[in-house]
Amino acid sequence: MHYINKLAYYLVIILIILSINFFLPRAMPGDPLAYVLGENPDMPIRMTEEEREMKLAEYGLDKPLPEQYVDYMIKLSKGDLGHSIYYKNPVMDEILIRLKWTLLLTGTATVIYMPLGIFLGAESAWARGKKKDTLSLITILTVSSFPSFVLGTLFVIFFAFKLGLFPLGCANTIGATYANPLEEALDILHHLILPVATLIIAHIGGTYLLMRNSMLSVIGADYILSARAKGLSERYILNRHAIRNALLPIVTMAALTIGFMTVGTIFVEKVFAYPGIGLLLYDSVLRRDYPLIQGIFLFISIFVVLANFIADMAYVWLDPRVSDE
Amino acid sequence: MTGVKVNNVLGSLGLGILAILITVAIFAPQIAPYDPHDTYKWMERPSSEHLLGTNDVGNDILSEVIYGTRVSLFIAFTVSITAIIIGTALGLIAGYSSGVLGFLIMRIVDIFLTIPRMVLIIVLAAFLTQSIWNLIVIFIIFGWMMTARIVRSEVLTLRSQYYVDSAKMLGGSDRYIIWRHILPNVVPLVVVQFIMEASHVIIAEAGISFLGLGDPVARSWGTIFNYAFEYPNIILSDAWMWWMLPPGLCIAATVLGLTFVGYALEERLNPKLKTVVGMEA
Repeated sequence: MHYINKLAYYLVIILIILSINFFLPRAMPGDPLAYVLGENPDMPIRMTEEEREMKLAEYGLDKPLPEQYVDYMIKLSKGDLGHSIYYKNPVMDEILIRLKWTLLLTGTATVIYMPLGIFLGAESAWARGKKKDTLSLITILTVSSFPSFVLGTLFVIFFAFKLGLFPLGCANTIGATYANPLEEALDILHHLILPVATLIIAHIGGTYLLMRNSMLSVIGADYILSARAKGLSERYILNRHAIRNALLPIVTMAALTIGFMTVGTIFVEKVFAYPGIGLLLYDSVLRRDYPLIQGIFLFISIFVVLANFIADMAYVWLDPRVSDE
Repeated sequence: MTGVKVNNVLGSLGLGILAILITVAIFAPQIAPYDPHDTYKWMERPSSEHLLGTNDVGNDILSEVIYGTRVSLFIAFTVSITAIIIGTALGLIAGYSSGVLGFLIMRIVDIFLTIPRMVLIIVLAAFLTQSIWNLIVIFIIFGWMMTARIVRSEVLTLRSQYYVDSAKMLGGSDRYIIWRHILPNVVPLVVVQFIMEASHVIIAEAGISFLGLGDPVARSWGTIFNYAFEYPNIILSDAWMWWMLPPGLCIAATVLGLTFVGYALEERLNPKLKTVVGMEA
C-alpha cells in the first residue's frame, strides 16, 4: 500500500513539473511565438499577419490550450522536447551530448563527498565538545559559506593559473590526439580534479552536519550505554552500533543532496567552462534559447524527483517501521 | 561546558559580522566614497582615490561593493521575513485545523520541496525581466515551505499538551489559544528558520546573479562578481584581487555570520532540534 501511495505521489509531481513546463512560455508576458522562434529585443521579428498565422499554426499555438496540452504530452512521450533556437537541433540530442560530462562530474563528486562527509561527521560527533570536534565544525562551517562559484574561481586562480598544476577549464584538451585510451583517461581526469574538488568542498557541509547531528542523537541512546556496559571497545561501538543507526537520515538526505549537487554543477560548470548540462543551461539562458532552457529544466527536475523516489524506497527497505504507518 | 562556550563565541562572532554588514547597508550613501554609477578612468589599480580601483566602465569598485551590500541584504531580508510569515501562518493553519485545508497545504509543501527549486528559479528568472523585485517574488514563492512544515509539526506536538487542553476546557477560543499558547512556543523555531532562509537566499541570489540574471542597475555582490568574471582574462591580471575577491568575500562573510548565529541559536534553544542544512549554489 505504502509503495503504491508513494508511486502515485511521485507521478503527480512529475505531472506537475510537465505542466509547469507547458504553461511557462504561455503564461509569461509577451508573445508566445517569441519563445519558440527566439527573440532579440534589438531586432524584433517582423512578420506579416499571414506569416504570423502560419508560424502559429506550425507550432500548434493557434489551437485551444487543452488541445495544445495533449499535443505537448504526446510529443513528450516520444522524447520530443522541441528544437533549440541556437543549435537548430532537437533539444533532446543537445542534452544527451552533454549529459556524460555532468554525470561524470556529479557522480565522481558524490562518490567521494558522501562517505567523506559521513566519516567526518561521525568522527566529529564521537569527539563532541573536544578540540577535534570544534575545529572540524568551525572549519567546515567556514568553508561551506563560500558559494561554489567563488570557491571554484579561487581554485582556478591559484591551482591552475598561479601554480599551473591543472588546466584552466574544459573537460579535455581541445584538439588533442591521444596515443591510447589511457592517455585520454588521464587527460580527462586531469581536467576533472578541480571542478570535482570544488563541488565536494562546497557540498560536504550538509552531509557532515547531518551525520554529526544524527550521531549525537544516537550516542545518547540506551543501546549505546548497554554496549559500553558490556565492555565493548569504543571503536567497535562506533562502527557497529552508532554509525549504523545514525546512517538512516542520511539516506533521505542523499536524494536532497543529489538535487543540490545537480544544481551546484551549473555554477561549477560555468566557472570551469565544463561542457555539461549546466554550462548548456547557462549558455541557453544567455541566448534566451527557451526550448533548450525548458528541456534542461525538465531533464534535471525529473532526474532529481527520481532520485527522491529511489531514496524514499530505500528508506522503507532499510527501516521497515516506516511501511507500517 | 566547552560546547556552550564555543556556541557563545560563534554566536557573538556571527552577530558582530552581521552588525557590521547591516550598518554598511543602511549607511551606504554616507560610507561610500562615490556614487556607484559615477564613472572615472576605467580599470584603475587601487590608489588613495579609489581604494579598490575602478571597473571596466570606470565605476569605483569600493562604492559598488558597499551599495551591493544594500542590494544583497535587502533581497535576503525582505524575502526571508515575508516567506517566514507566510510559512508560519500556513503552518499554524495546517497544524491547527487538520482538515482538508491542512492536508492540502502539506501536500503543496511536499511537492514544492521535491521539485528542485533552484532550477525552476533559474528558468523563471530567464523568462522574466531582470529586476530585484522579480527575484524577490520568485524567492518568496519558493521560500516558505520548510517553515510551514516545521511550524506544523511543532503545533501538532503543542496541541496535545495538557495546558492547551486545559485552556480549551476553560473556554479559550482558537484565536486565544493560538496567540497565547501556540505562537510563543513556535517563535524560537521560526527565528532559526528565518536565519537559515536568509543565508539560503544570499547564496541563491548570488548564484542567479552569477548566471547573469541579476538586476543590471541595482547591482548585488553576485552581479559585481559576475561582471568581473566575464571580463576577458581577468585572472591573468591582478584585477581579480580588488574586483572579484571583495564581493566574493562579502557573500561568504554574510553566510558565515548567519550560519554562526543560526547554529548558536539552534543549540541554545533546542539541542535536540536539527534541521537539514544544504546549499544549492
